[in-house]
Amino acid sequence: MNGIFWETAGKFFESGIFVYGTTLLITYALLATFSIIAVRAYARKEQSYQADPLLSSPLAPGITVLAPAYNEGLTIIYNVRSLMTLVYPKYEIIVINDGSTDNSLEQLIEAFELVAVDFAYNVKIPTQPVRRIYKSSNPAYSQLTIIDKVNGKSKADAVNAGINAASFDYFVCTDVDCILHEHTLIELIKPVLQEPKRRVIATGATLRIANSCEFDQGVMTRMRPPKQLLPRFQEVEYIRAFVLGKMGWSLINCVPNVSGGLGLFDKEVAIRSGGYDFSSFGEDMELMTRMCRYACDNGIDYAIRYVPRTLCWTEAPVTVRIFGRQRTRWARGLAQLMHAHFRMFLRPRYGRMGMVIFPYNFFFELLAPVVEVGGIIFYITGAILGWINWPTAILLLIFVYTYSVMITTLAILWDQLTFRYYKSWREVAYLCFTPFMEMFLYHPLIVFFSLRGYFFFLTGKKSSWGNMQRRGFQQRTPGAAPAN
Amino acid sequence: METVFDFFMSIVDRFRYAPLVIQIAVTFTFIAVTLTAIAYLSILINRYRSYQREKKLAKLNPLIDDLLTEHILMNEALYNEETVEPVVPLEVFDKPVFSKKWARQALINRLTMYRDNVQGAMGEQLRYVYLQLGLDKDSLKKLKSSRWDHKIQALAELTNMDVPLADVIILPLTNSRNRELRATARHAYIKLSKNEPFKFFDVATEPLLRWDQIELFRIITTSDRIAIPNFAQWITYSSNKSIVSFCLKLVEHYQQLSAVPAVTKLLDTRDHYLRANAINCLGKLKIESVEDKLISMYDSQPHNCQVEILKAIGRISSGKHVDFLRQEFLHSTDFEIRKHAAKSLINNQWAAEALVQELVETATRENKLILKHCMNPLIKF
Amino acid sequence: MYRILVIEDDEVMPKIIERILHKEAYHLDHVVNGKEALQKLEETNYGYDLIITDIMMPYANGFEVLSRVKNRKEGKPIAVIIVSNAGNEDMILEGFKLGADDFLKKPVIPGELLIRVKRLLMRYQ
Repeated sequence: MNGIFWETAGKFFESGIFVYGTTLLITYALLATFSIIAVRAYARKEQSYQADPLLSSPLAPGITVLAPAYNEGLTIIYNVRSLMTLVYPKYEIIVINDGSTDNSLEQLIEAFELVAVDFAYNVKIPTQPVRRIYKSSNPAYSQLTIIDKVNGKSKADAVNAGINAASFDYFVCTDVDCILHEHTLIELIKPVLQEPKRRVIATGATLRIANSCEFDQGVMTRMRPPKQLLPRFQEVEYIRAFVLGKMGWSLINCVPNVSGGLGLFDKEVAIRSGGYDFSSFGEDMELMTRMCRYACDNGIDYAIRYVPRTLCWTEAPVTVRIFGRQRTRWARGLAQLMHAHFRMFLRPRYGRMGMVIFPYNFFFELLAPVVEVGGIIFYITGAILGWINWPTAILLLIFVYTYSVMITTLAILWDQLTFRYYKSWREVAYLCFTPFMEMFLYHPLIVFFSLRGYFFFLTGKKSSWGNMQRRGFQQRTPGAAPAN
Repeated sequence: METVFDFFMSIVDRFRYAPLVIQIAVTFTFIAVTLTAIAYLSILINRYRSYQREKKLAKLNPLIDDLLTEHILMNEALYNEETVEPVVPLEVFDKPVFSKKWARQALINRLTMYRDNVQGAMGEQLRYVYLQLGLDKDSLKKLKSSRWDHKIQALAELTNMDVPLADVIILPLTNSRNRELRATARHAYIKLSKNEPFKFFDVATEPLLRWDQIELFRIITTSDRIAIPNFAQWITYSSNKSIVSFCLKLVEHYQQLSAVPAVTKLLDTRDHYLRANAINCLGKLKIESVEDKLISMYDSQPHNCQVEILKAIGRISSGKHVDFLRQEFLHSTDFEIRKHAAKSLINNQWAAEALVQELVETATRENKLILKHCMNPLIKF
Repeated sequence: MYRILVIEDDEVMPKIIERILHKEAYHLDHVVNGKEALQKLEETNYGYDLIITDIMMPYANGFEVLSRVKNRKEGKPIAVIIVSNAGNEDMILEGFKLGADDFLKKPVIPGELLIRVKRLLMRYQ
């Protein structure tokens, strides 16, 4: 009796896993196809525009760049200076000093000749109180505004304060420690201006890992894949997630998230949706979901676009401890988000968000680690009880392995086809070998930290924010000339 | 030999009688491995090719630069601004490398780059070189390519070099199914057609994207061959809203006062976005006579038009309506309205010195902050 | 002999400027970004008579260089011409506010550039 029950359960479980796995594999194949279409279209469009008419145009829309900073004293001056060299005719920079305990603010005041001003700051999104707002007394830095506010223990709170003070219709959200490509603003606003029918409420671009790149005073001088293994895994993961994932989704207007490292947003929609949620662990995706929801509720035919070009380099965690903290937080954010917006799940009213993005995220992002661990436990039990057909199991494993390596390699190829990043083919080869180890070394870590994140979500554990220790980009370049 | 074959056959046999799952898994494993290998190969080939291309260009570009420098940049005759005949001896470009397509393309790109930087007689000479070396034929050939991006590239080159095009070539492209190509062809038509460049303003039914407006604006405002028409005709008669709002921007750019009556009429339009654009245009043209009308319509307007009216009064700065501004500043409940009222008050300060002073002294804390914000020269917006 | 500093990250423009000004016996130095420009100025103790600069370039933008040059208390004043393709009205005004002596939009007319350079050098003598 008992034996039959277990056998049926096993069969059931096995076919469930089979359907699940097949759907996932097909989705990836589709994404790979979609993304190459989107990437090629982008590349063709790019080469046909010769001189950039946006630069000299009085019709270029204004953009506000928001850069929150917490204890970034090591690099803040260089990074703000590099923000001021972005190529765009009409933009302002708002740096939000989120109650830093180091001397960031003093450094800023000195370097940019700041004075406190009476600024008509209008609280459209509530935040921790703003202490003071500074402007430069030197007209050369007139596009710079510094907000000094009480620490809100989250990036969300800091960015919200920046949104309140922003004067333009679009804002670009980044981190003060991210290094941006000089054409970032042009690239991000283009999809907005070129969209024929819909209202583009957000655009994102590819992020990469800065760890082994060379920087000089906040400007990247040499791009390299990370030398250390953990950051290199992340670089490969980013390429796959952005160039293959987000670009693929972008073609069918189903982008689930614009990364917190760099994104351009429609200010009106962002404010009306309530701005970033400071209690969220994944505030970027949370805001995106709310903006989509707002757009659906108000009949705005919206679009979210992605640019395959890498416009932002960010420092990746090097130690497993800090990496674990980051991923646990992301997983927790995902769980939180699914829980909070579950009403959108499979609701036709929420269009693509409800019918495609949400189910995908639920089954293949949220549940994936759980299913995987379930599968492993099943196999172990099976192995102990002697149910496993070993040749079949091994063949399936080989298949999954080669497939995952292929998908990642394709992502690297899409990326290389359009831009030929890195200086030599050796560096690319170096990158290409990384996916072979991913399944055994990197993937288990992600599964583990995700489950930890879900556990924290379920138990409601308080978590510390864990500011990453910055090593400071410009210090890594020997021989860089000191600034004046 | 036998044994290897047997071994192979036994594998095939096992595969044939294996369960479906296994068959699928094995097949796809093979596909995955093959695709991965192809991907590696593509990366290598792709990198090698573009490396070669760069190397070739790195050698060719200095050569082109030298030729252009020697024969155009150093040419004394090109420093006075009377139009001169072609002076570049074409034999100097008579090099074997320029019989190759890629080298000719590199030359075209370089010439375009130079023309983005200089105009006048020197710019004309660059154009002569382009025409006399027959590079326009390369561009025209690209125009016949089946790929839309090549066509766009060709149009961009021809537009940059100011090569007149027959309508029969360009008109079919303006109806292309590809949006990008369609837009570029229309821009090119405006710049290159000898007939009525602005014909599309009459017939276009689809909206002009903001990007197209930016591109068009540049083309119209930078080429001196185009005769600027009175944009009032489209402001009055066009049913295409994006064309009307684009014409408003052109009216503003050219300070076309003759179009003011048409713009003023637009204040009665039902589309409030368009109305806001019209108010904006009148403000930037500093048309004092419409102020009364703006103020009389103010109360019935939606928020965006109210803001534009306040801004316009600040821009016109006639000093006649400070009481209205004061009223709005003191009594509006909307922060943005108060801010713009304050800003415009400051712009009218020459006529209301005492009033502003009084407001600063008596206003509430928040209002005082707004006033100070607007008075501070360090804050731009 | 007049010394002129050209700050421009574009590839072609400096070549053109160099050729345009070549006829006169000027000593021309060319740097490609804001950092090099500031270094060069420090090194030579601001030993230039004229600076021709672009606005948007890496490390330090043209406005920063401009403000550094114009806010110098001691030493003889240096003329500055901005040559840029970013000819947005606000930017032009900003430039003049910072003390720029002239603003030329790309594409430039060679004869015009030459005359303006000559005139400024004369005025600053």
